[in-house]
Amino acid sequence: MFSSLQNPRQAAAQLMNFGLILSTAFMMWKGLSVITDSPSPIVVVLSGSMEPAFQRGDLLVLWNRNLYSETNVGEIVVYNVKDKDIPIVHRVVRKFGIGPDAKLLTKGDNNLSDDTELYARGQDYLVRKDIIGSVVGFIPFVGYVTIMLSEHPWLKTAMLGIMGLVVVLQRE
Amino acid sequence: MYSSIVRAQNSFGFFTTVVFVVASLIAVSDLLTPRAPAVGTLKTTNVQVVRGRPHYYSSKKEEYAVIKFSLDADLSSLFTWNTKQVFVYVTAEWPATPAVTGTPSNTTLNQAVIWDTIITAPSADHLANIGPAALKKLQKSAAGKSIDPSRGKLSIKNQRPKYQITHPSGKIAETDNVVLKLHYNVQPWVGLLTWNQDVDIGLWKQLKGGLSKKFSLPAIKKKADAKV
Repeated sequence: MFSSLQNPRQAAAQLMNFGLILSTAFMMWKGLSVITDSPSPIVVVLSGSMEPAFQRGDLLVLWNRNLYSETNVGEIVVYNVKDKDIPIVHRVVRKFGIGPDAKLLTKGDNNLSDDTELYARGQDYLVRKDIIGSVVGFIPFVGYVTIMLSEHPWLKTAMLGIMGLVVVLQRE
Repeated sequence: MYSSIVRAQNSFGFFTTVVFVVASLIAVSDLLTPRAPAVGTLKTTNVQVVRGRPHYYSSKKEEYAVIKFSLDADLSSLFTWNTKQVFVYVTAEWPATPAVTGTPSNTTLNQAVIWDTIITAPSADHLANIGPAALKKLQKSAAGKSIDPSRGKLSIKNQRPKYQITHPSGKIAETDNVVLKLHYNVQPWVGLLTWNQDVDIGLWKQLKGGLSKKFSLPAIKKKADAKV
């Protein structure tokens, strides 16, 4: 059963295999990041402020290039508030001006008022560089796993444990 | 142990593959459904500019445009089996006045949403954030139907704007060349989000109409008769 532990060559091969899987996933993520020009090309919806369009756990595909047009009113964007690292997914409802300095105001479809309250002190509007991407694709529910994992940390341990056990027990 | 783990892995892998393929087919089916949205009328019925404060505790006074409008539109072709909701919004757009920015007009464009609405497809009615009575009514209106194109037919008379708009400078009175524009955003159950387009793409026709006549915002109303 524990033959892989007794055979160092096989153990090394398994380690390599595991490393290969990890690095492939990492490369795909970073590759997608380069293609979309977004630091986080896929995000999970964490709040209900865009309901009924997006529920918690839905997966959003982002695009951060302005190939044909600028980021316009009506687009759903993911932005980071100045000096805070919490991405927020809301719709652009006002835009004053054109270009990188255009002032943008966002609002959640499900919220009564706009996001002025959410912005940093002294920040009345967003600019283009606060935005890390516009939502172009939608995959429901798949991201719920990550919400489960972050809300119930013991699941992480359990999952890692099971994965480790499988790796150890499994013979290639 | 060995074979049961492998079996579980294989069936899970197959399951995800099937789900992925079916989801992609559904997403692609959007492209094969013709769309021909059209706007009959979009016109302002009453335009005012009033003075107000951005919020209760603010001492800053700003000018707000209150634009009432009428709208007739047929967006029924946007509702398919993959439609979760259609977000319809009306924007006011105007070029910057040279006095404010120092740049010649029509170089800088201002856009602000004055009104929006969420039209859920019957399959997403249960997600709508409305009161229980309204929800019951909404669900009843499409009982037994999975797709209800009639929801895309909008007929709105003399609608008050949901949002009173201003400019970051606080000045908006006596602005010329303002137009209202209707937009939509189709939210699918799975796949790509789409907006109204200015050109035909495959079977999707461009939005017909959807632009009001140019109008000017009036001067500020006297305090005595300004009611917001």
